[in-house]
Amino acid sequence: MKAQLRPGAREAIFAQLIEAGRAEQVARRLTDAIILGLLTPGERLPSEQELARRFGVALITVREGLVILRDAGLVETRRGRGGGSFVIKADAPPGSLLQSRLRGLAQVELSDLAVYFSTIAEGCAERAALRASAVDAERLDAWLLHADFSTTARARTNAGGFYLELAVLSQSPRLVREQIRLQAEFGPLLLLGLGDPDTRAQVTGLNGRIALAITHGDGQAARTLVADQVRLLGEWLLTMKARIERGGRRDDAIVDDA
Amino acid sequence: MMPSSTTPETARPTARPAGRTTYVSCATEVGDIFARVFRTLDDWRDQIAAAVPDRADLDILVESLVVPALLASADSPAADTPSAAESLLIGAGFIAAPQYVNGRDAHFAWWLGPLASNPLLGNTSGASRLDLATRVHTEYLRDFRELEWYAVPAATNQTHVTGPYVDQLCTCDYIITLTKPVRLGERMIGVVGADIYVKRLEQVLLPHFLALAGPVVLVNQSGRVVISTEPTLPAGDILPNRRHPADGYDLLPCPGTPFLIATRIALAAI
Repeated sequence: MKAQLRPGAREAIFAQLIEAGRAEQVARRLTDAIILGLLTPGERLPSEQELARRFGVALITVREGLVILRDAGLVETRRGRGGGSFVIKADAPPGSLLQSRLRGLAQVELSDLAVYFSTIAEGCAERAALRASAVDAERLDAWLLHADFSTTARARTNAGGFYLELAVLSQSPRLVREQIRLQAEFGPLLLLGLGDPDTRAQVTGLNGRIALAITHGDGQAARTLVADQVRLLGEWLLTMKARIERGGRRDDAIVDDA
Repeated sequence: MMPSSTTPETARPTARPAGRTTYVSCATEVGDIFARVFRTLDDWRDQIAAAVPDRADLDILVESLVVPALLASADSPAADTPSAAESLLIGAGFIAAPQYVNGRDAHFAWWLGPLASNPLLGNTSGASRLDLATRVHTEYLRDFRELEWYAVPAATNQTHVTGPYVDQLCTCDYIITLTKPVRLGERMIGVVGADIYVKRLEQVLLPHFLALAGPVVLVNQSGRVVISTEPTLPAGDILPNRRHPADGYDLLPCPGTPFLIATRIALAAI
C-alpha cells in the first residue's frame, strides 16, 4: 500500500482547516488518515507545534484534538526523549475503524454529504461544458487517457483530480476552492467506494463520457453523468453503513489496498 | 472574519485616463502593461542566468528579486505609476528543470504575495513561499512540466502567456501567468514567471474601457474573456458563443501580447 502513495498523499492529512469545531476536525482528519492506512500503527505523528502550524490552528486546539483520538484509543502519548503521539497498533480487525467512522455518521448525514458534493460537482461539469475551449477539452482527454484508475489508491487520487479539473474548467475560483475544501474534508470518506472493484469500474467508466460531453459543449449531459457517478459512491456508503449497523461482516473490499 | 489591512478586497476608484480614449488607445494600454511585466521578467531572467554557476544561493537570489515586487503589489494595487507592472503581481519566481536542481521533480522557487482568505494559506500579510508538499489536491498532476506555463516555453523557447485561468496550485484564484525560458547555452534550465491577478488588471483597465462609448471585451487567443464591459459576456466566457456570434465583433490585437480587444461591429463603426 505504501509504495502506491506518492509522498504528497500524506500531506493532505495536514492541510489547513476552516471554520468552527476545529478540535473535532483535527480529530476527524487524523482518524480518517488512520482508517485509510495513510498513518500506520506505531508511527509517530508530527509534533503538536508542527500540527498546529500545518492545520493553521492554535496549539490548544491540536491538544484537544489529540485528546479525542486518545479517548478513541487511536493514539497514545509517550513522554521524554523520543516521545510524542503514536498511532496505536490496533488489536481490532482492520475494518473496525472504518466501521466506527461510518457508525459515527447518521444515514441522513451520509446522504446529505453526497447531495452536497454532487450539487457542486454537477455545477462544475455543466459550466465546464459551456466554457471549455477546444484546447481545454483536448487537455482533459489527454490527462484522462493516461490517468491510472486500476488500483484503489490511484483511483482515489485521480477521481479527486478529475473533479478538481472540472472545477478548473468552470473558470470559477469559488468552485475550485469549494472542491478543494470538500475533498480535504470528506474526500477519503466519499471515495471509499472506489475500493470496491465493481463500483470503481462503474464510476471510472463514466469519466470518458463526461469528458465527451464537455468536448461537445453539452452541459446537461455532463451534469447528469456526474450526478450518476456521485450517486454510485453515495449508495455504496449507505449500503456499507446498513451492513455495519446490522452487525454484518465488513466488506474486505473497503480496505483492499487502500 | 477579521478584515485584512494589507490586502484590499474592494476595488479602488481609479482616475479616468487622461487624453482621448479610443479602441486603439485601450489596445496600446494593454500592450504597455504587459510590456512592463515582460521587462521585469527579462531583468530577473538575466540575473538568474548570470548567477547559475554558483547554484547554492539561487533560492535566496530569486527571493530577493521577486518578494519586493510582490509586496509593492499589495501596497499599490491600482496605482498608475511606473511600478504599476509590479502592482499587478500575486505570485512570481523561478521553476528549475528537474535535471538542474537535485531531485526528480521540478524545483519551485516561487513566492506568493499577501492573500486574503486563501483556502490553503488563510490570510497572509507578507510574502510566502509556495510549498508544494502542502498542495496534496494537486497530486493527480503527474508532472508539472506538462502544464502549459512550463511546457510551451520549453517547447518554443519563447515567452508564453497562459490564461486567464483558475490556478489550483497557488492562489486558487483567476490569474494570467507569464513565463520566460531561462537558458544556459543551449539548455533550458527553467522558467522565470509572474502571475497577474485578473482582478487587479481589471482595476487598472476598467477606467479605460468604461471611457469608450460602446461595450468592449478583452479576450485571449482562445476567445476567453478577461475583462469586459458587456454584461452578457463576463470574464471566463468564450467569444464567440451562441449569444455572441463571431461575425458580430471586430478584433484589435494588443501589441506584443496574445490578447485582443473585441468590439461590436456596429458600435465600432460609429
